[in-house]
Amino acid sequence: MLQLIKKRLIQLVFVLFILSLVIFILMKLAPGDPVLTLLHADEMSITQADEAALREELGFDQPVLVQYGKWMLGLIRLDLGTSYLKGRPVLDELLDKLPATIQLTASGLAVMVAIALPLGLIASRYPNRWPDHVSRILALVGASIPSFWMGLLLIYLFSLKLGWLPTSGKGSFAHMILPSITLGFAMAAVYARLLRSGLLDSLSQDYIKAARARGLAERRILMGHALRAALLPVITVFGVSFGNLLAGSVVIETLFAWPGLGSLALEAIFERDYPIIQGYVLATGLFVVVVNLLVDLSYSLLDPRIRLGKGASS
Amino acid sequence: MLLLKENKRNKRLFFTILLLVLSMVVAGCGKSANSSSETGNTGQNATAAAENKAGKTLTLLYHFKSGSLDPHNDYIVLKAGVVETLVRMDDKLELQPWLASKWESVDDSTWRFTIREGVTFHSGAKLDAAAVKASLERGIGVNKALDTTLKIASMKAEGQELTITTTEPLPAFPSELVNPYSGIIDVAAEKTMGTEAFNKAPVGTGPFQIKGFTPNMEINLARYDSYWDGAALLEEIKFKFNEDGNVRALALQAKEADLAFQLPAEMVDVIKQDQNLKIESLAGLRAHFLLYNQQQPALKDVLVRQALDLLIDRESMAKDVMLGNASAANGPFNANLPFGSQEAVQPLDTEKAKQLLEQAGYAQGSSGKLEKDGKPLTLEVITYKGRPELPLIAQLLQSDAAKIGVTLTIKTVENVDTYLRDNNDWNLATYSNLTAPRGDGGFFLNSAFIVGGSLNPANISNDELSAIIAQLNATGDVAERVKLTQAAAAVIKAQALHSYAVYPNIIVGMNKKVTGWTPGPEEYYLVTNKMDVS
Repeated sequence: MLQLIKKRLIQLVFVLFILSLVIFILMKLAPGDPVLTLLHADEMSITQADEAALREELGFDQPVLVQYGKWMLGLIRLDLGTSYLKGRPVLDELLDKLPATIQLTASGLAVMVAIALPLGLIASRYPNRWPDHVSRILALVGASIPSFWMGLLLIYLFSLKLGWLPTSGKGSFAHMILPSITLGFAMAAVYARLLRSGLLDSLSQDYIKAARARGLAERRILMGHALRAALLPVITVFGVSFGNLLAGSVVIETLFAWPGLGSLALEAIFERDYPIIQGYVLATGLFVVVVNLLVDLSYSLLDPRIRLGKGASS
Repeated sequence: MLLLKENKRNKRLFFTILLLVLSMVVAGCGKSANSSSETGNTGQNATAAAENKAGKTLTLLYHFKSGSLDPHNDYIVLKAGVVETLVRMDDKLELQPWLASKWESVDDSTWRFTIREGVTFHSGAKLDAAAVKASLERGIGVNKALDTTLKIASMKAEGQELTITTTEPLPAFPSELVNPYSGIIDVAAEKTMGTEAFNKAPVGTGPFQIKGFTPNMEINLARYDSYWDGAALLEEIKFKFNEDGNVRALALQAKEADLAFQLPAEMVDVIKQDQNLKIESLAGLRAHFLLYNQQQPALKDVLVRQALDLLIDRESMAKDVMLGNASAANGPFNANLPFGSQEAVQPLDTEKAKQLLEQAGYAQGSSGKLEKDGKPLTLEVITYKGRPELPLIAQLLQSDAAKIGVTLTIKTVENVDTYLRDNNDWNLATYSNLTAPRGDGGFFLNSAFIVGGSLNPANISNDELSAIIAQLNATGDVAERVKLTQAAAAVIKAQALHSYAVYPNIIVGMNKKVTGWTPGPEEYYLVTNKMDVS
């Protein structure tokens, strides 16, 4: 296991290096830079000479690789640079937004588990009968409704019509409910179906038959034996889509004025605030690699047949 | 033995990591749980509290979020009534004294401002010329654009007298000081607080001071009792941000917000149906217009540009594309402005457009398209989605042009500014800009019609217009500036250098209980000491 972690850490360095290089070059190749925004060209008399001067001052006239090298040198000294538009260190900007993102992600995940687990269990218990159909329809609805629309519908119902919950903002538990449901519901759809097929698969295994033969309670077989194995594909998919979860909440953040990482990144991309984009990419890359490492480690807990760090299975 | 040890260590490591992750999740949940118990109450009592404190607080929902309250880099600080500038605009967009009680021009590049007596900062410090000088110095130090536009060479402060010398003659200097990035702050307070803290709670002279700030979410404002122009009627204001227009409209309908800015045009009718709410839709300082690339042979010909100008159905753009929340344009500057053009709006005239093109040498070919030297007149229109109505304006133009055999192809680009500069093969472009951001046309004329200006990607250059702009730049007299600005607009129209389509409206939704407040075309002074709730 230690070897796996070591290997992953080395991988991490390479992944982040390549990721940052590719993103840096892509962003530089994309048209535009933050100069016009910085100079407020849409409301102040600026000449193209002023723009060129600022471009030179910021070093945008240098070759891309030189600019990347400079950024890399800063990174080695653990300096992520300073945001052009906000004038603050990138690290501070990211750390400011991180708690809100983790909070939204965690509560969204909680909603997802609360919906997906019962739906998946019921669907696998009664395959191709009405509970399964209901779960399938719910999953279809959840997967097809775009989250911005779902969010608006929820706001319309719970804030305007019923007046129970605030429309947007952050601060109280009430503020968290609608964004969490919007985020969790869309995810739950996929995971409920995954869980169902996983459960159906593991319920047909020999060791389940053996458990039944031993006279174990059906409930214990389902929760103790079948579910553990069925969680494997669910967790794998979760690990792979975790990056999506961090970034994919942009729509929800905008809708609910939730000050998270997603909208910070989106804004940075639109305004070409390169240091923020780079910092964000590094942070997401780090998260995804770490989460996937944890996912791999969790396999051995879930399925005793998988032993990490021994032979081919590592 | 060794293996066992390693195994043990592995296990420990694994559990440490697991614990770490768990603690992270718990911290996340714990935080929310904590805040829920603390603010859950506020949530429940919010409506009750609002009723009890009626007449005391107001909630305002703004359409751009702010992550910082640096008064010289974020105009929200001025909009929130925390800082004020030396000069302001009234609702007719004419200059009025604010923190400067009067000013005069000593010579071409020297101005003497008299700073208002009896003004204090939220810190209690008195406002004098030295404080203003320090604030302006900070402003031009941290905001490059402000430095470029103010062109301050030196400042001298004596008591309440501030003498400013500019690096070159700037007859419109006082109008530049309307700039929301030039708000006057207490630099001494910044020194004691530290810049990082100051940029979260800047100290100004306005009717409200910052009580709390959550970046990108809300500013809590509290009344400043010693405000020089009379303490505000409201005790507290919640200045919130939400960038989704539909949510802003819903929050207004749910009575969570009393004022909601920039509502989507399609929500206007729904809000009007609520008898507690009303909509203010007024002409702003922005114009949607067409750029012509005169580097292209076809558009070098003024007849072709004039013909295209006649193909713009301005009334339909205002009524159908903008759902009535815009007015048809007759020049760069809104007719409501003192220097706006009073001429009638050019209606759609396909016949005359065709005549002009025939005059320019185009004739109907066998395919029914207008051709010259065997080549059909096909032009590419660049548009972008940043303002969703611009692509629709391009489409309307496309369909009207097709009626007389002119083919327009539409290309949507992501970053229009960069595209127009980096490419030279475009013909037309839809664009949108503030044309009189500080109640003066000088900015737009200089940026869009002088070679090298930041809004002149096609390098438009017209000798007659350049001469007028040069004269304008050297004129301080307001009446004379109005005349020159109008003369410039007349040249733009005659030469069809740009074609102005519509002036989009500012749409503000408000609860009828809000009194003493109407939106202004400048969109600067959103929070005032006169606003109240009944």
